[in-house]
Amino acid sequence: MRIDPNIVPEMLANLQQSQVSLDTALQQVSTGLSVNEPSDNPTNAAAMVENTIQTGDLDVYTQNVSTALSTVQTASSVLSSLVTSLTSAVSAGTEGANGTNSSTDLASLANEVQGILTSAVTAANTSVSGTYLFGGSGTTTPYTADASSSTGYTYNGNDDTNSVAVGDQTSVQVNLPGSQIFSSSSNNVLGALSSLVTALQGGNSSDIQTATASVDSALNYVSQQQVFYGNAETQLNSQETFLEQDKVTLSTQANSLIGVNESTAATDLSQAETDNSAALAAVAKVLPNNLLNYLAPPA
Amino acid sequence: MGGLNTALLIGVGGLDAAQGALDATSNNIANVNTPGYTREEAQLSELPETESAGQITGGGVSLEGLQSIRDELLNVQIQQQTSLQSAADTESASLQQAQTYFTSTGTDIASALSSFSSSLAALSANSTSSSAQQGVLAAGQNLASAFNTAAGGLTGVQTAANQQIPDTVSQINSLTQQIAQLNGQLAQVPAGEGGGTVQDQLDQAVKQLAALTNISVTQTNNGETITTGSGTPLVEGDQSYNLQTSTGTGGQLEVLDANGNNITSAITGGTLGGALNIANQVIPGLMTQLNTLASQFATAFNSAQAGGTDSNGNAGGAFFTGTANLSNAAANMSVGLISAAQIAISSSTGGGNGNVANLSAALTSTLPSGESAADGYAGIVFNVGTVASNASTQSTAIGDNLTQLTTQQGAVSAVNIDEETANLMRYQTAYEAAARIVSTVQVLDNAALNMGSSTSF
Amino acid sequence: MTCAGAPDRNGNAAEYLQLLRSLAGEMERAMRAIAHNALPDLEESVATQQMMSARLLVLADELSAPLESSPAEFSPAASPIKIDDDMMQQVRVAGDALQTLNRRYAALLQHSSRSVTLMASLFNSFQGKFKEASGPRLKHQTWSCQM
Repeated sequence: MRIDPNIVPEMLANLQQSQVSLDTALQQVSTGLSVNEPSDNPTNAAAMVENTIQTGDLDVYTQNVSTALSTVQTASSVLSSLVTSLTSAVSAGTEGANGTNSSTDLASLANEVQGILTSAVTAANTSVSGTYLFGGSGTTTPYTADASSSTGYTYNGNDDTNSVAVGDQTSVQVNLPGSQIFSSSSNNVLGALSSLVTALQGGNSSDIQTATASVDSALNYVSQQQVFYGNAETQLNSQETFLEQDKVTLSTQANSLIGVNESTAATDLSQAETDNSAALAAVAKVLPNNLLNYLAPPA
Repeated sequence: MGGLNTALLIGVGGLDAAQGALDATSNNIANVNTPGYTREEAQLSELPETESAGQITGGGVSLEGLQSIRDELLNVQIQQQTSLQSAADTESASLQQAQTYFTSTGTDIASALSSFSSSLAALSANSTSSSAQQGVLAAGQNLASAFNTAAGGLTGVQTAANQQIPDTVSQINSLTQQIAQLNGQLAQVPAGEGGGTVQDQLDQAVKQLAALTNISVTQTNNGETITTGSGTPLVEGDQSYNLQTSTGTGGQLEVLDANGNNITSAITGGTLGGALNIANQVIPGLMTQLNTLASQFATAFNSAQAGGTDSNGNAGGAFFTGTANLSNAAANMSVGLISAAQIAISSSTGGGNGNVANLSAALTSTLPSGESAADGYAGIVFNVGTVASNASTQSTAIGDNLTQLTTQQGAVSAVNIDEETANLMRYQTAYEAAARIVSTVQVLDNAALNMGSSTSF
Repeated sequence: MTCAGAPDRNGNAAEYLQLLRSLAGEMERAMRAIAHNALPDLEESVATQQMMSARLLVLADELSAPLESSPAEFSPAASPIKIDDDMMQQVRVAGDALQTLNRRYAALLQHSSRSVTLMASLFNSFQGKFKEASGPRLKHQTWSCQM
């Protein structure tokens, strides 16, 4: 059969084109992506760079918020309990200062306040997942007993504060150092409790009164410090909501940039397969065997 | 997206330049070099016909003559389009390869930037943890590695194109020598005899040559004169002239004519034109962008490092090294820190993790180029995708056009001038209408930007 | 249309999507016609494309108009409903595909119309008749035509 030389270039061109369409449709269905290479859609491929980075960051931010919330909530609740204990200490001191107590009573009150001091130190040494909440960035126990110290305790931590990234260029400070909360020079909580114990043991009403006033002042001070954690909690909660929304936005954007509609992809694939089969059949009719061998992939 | 690097613009325009060449040559299909024949006569005057022995001479060309001219015109177009197709195919193949280094694979620069950014965010939550610090160090190494790979990939594409250049010149020289010899043989053929097979061989060789470089073919009494570039002779009658390659001052390959003149910029078609464009314009343009990005990003990050204190109490040292020389910043980029403890976590005024935020900010801050690191990279992805897409589009479109021309060439029917002219007018009309539709579709692209926004739909 | 004047955005979006796909199909058809030198087929396809693109422009205009511009006096039942995300996604994908095809179409038109112009100039030159070369190789004419 004589080959019409004009038909061959056309048919080969059609065949090649249908092969390309088939490959594209296959890739889209198997990857779920309409943009697999930059040339598929340069604009979208470029926009995906930012999306990729933001999506990756978002996961970490979400994790950070969760961890930070747990830390901050724990700290807040610890301080809350502490305020309650300090209230009891103030009561004990007030009672001790009223001049009607026996030495046994005073001893008993002193013990009570000593107990509160011990629990305050325990509170100051709270750790969550191996990290001390009130030690700054220190890794050793923040407060240890120290006979040479006027308060009976030494602060082993540091003054460092840590900020946690919870959004792009958004950080939240998540800690106050113990030195600020429990043993600051203006309001030393541990020191006030310690002096109250001493005063109650000493029995002098005036001393007890003075010491009680210090503890009362410390109580107010700790309440103020707690506000920091309350604010941090509020910030973190609202950031959590924002991140949830952002996640949806980024995911939708990614899909609109490079995603493919599944039912469309399936239809396209089906059509491409049909076209390709038709093109192959048409070529097979026209070309003699040796040219068909030329078309087949090398053995 | 930032502005396109100028060199890259030239590269992108390379294909357009080839179009310009087509415009220029189409104004002068072939030189006339026959005694007693002038162009003005051909176009403007009506010459008296004389008829003798059934053959019309000295006047209008017979229909068969017009047919052969028409076929030659088709030949010329097919040659030109073959050159363009070949150039587009060469470029498309190179760019397909190049863009694999900018595709999202998990080890590409975008993925690496993302991991690096995430590792810093994680470090902020656990700054004293050695595993969090190690995470940042490892992510930094992956990022440097990703830059190395991309640079290596582009260099590989350039090297391959550079290899094509002397190979193609070799083939060109071999073909021109063949053509010259065939011209010589044809000149020996006695008058009236067709010289068929030799002519076919000649046509075949010329067609092959057209795929290698842009050519202009003129019929003369001595045979075919073939030139390339802006008139550099390749074949004149039975004489052929070799092209050569040499390395220019910038390390780029150049094509020289037989006299040693540099004709590189005039080679716009064929495999040679495509390879030259890739090696000397497109790849260098992309490399410059990549190197600039690597260099500026490393500088910005190192600056954030220097502003802080590391876990050993020392001022932060350079995190990234190897980017001082702009010409190979991306290929040489590596991590300079020896241990993760050298990451500058604290701000210089004290403890805490205040400097981690500064390190993170280096990824989003504006670099001297005017963009952030992410946007700078996105710009490169866009450029690579665009040139690759354009080359592929041109290749397909020219392929369709070649099919059209080849089909016309094979058409057997005798030319009916009036009918064919009328058809051509109809084609013109259809093309003009189609061009307006092309514009309309482009307008739809702009309208699409406003659809699906929260205020509509 | 749900009530007089109220735009039926869902219906419009679906029609828009269908037209995008159909126009893409017509472009492919036109490109094949050009490659095969099938002039009537090309003319038919272009005419169809003209109708489709005109309608697409009208729809695009309606669909990108902001929701706020809808007059308040329509009853809630007639107010424009937000098109679902799946539909929007399909429209975007179809739109992108059409743009890619359009670039190829534009390139082919550029090359082919140049070919046609060259041929037309040749035949126009023929109207001013010109001389044949005489010589041993009659087949090899030398000629030029001004464009």
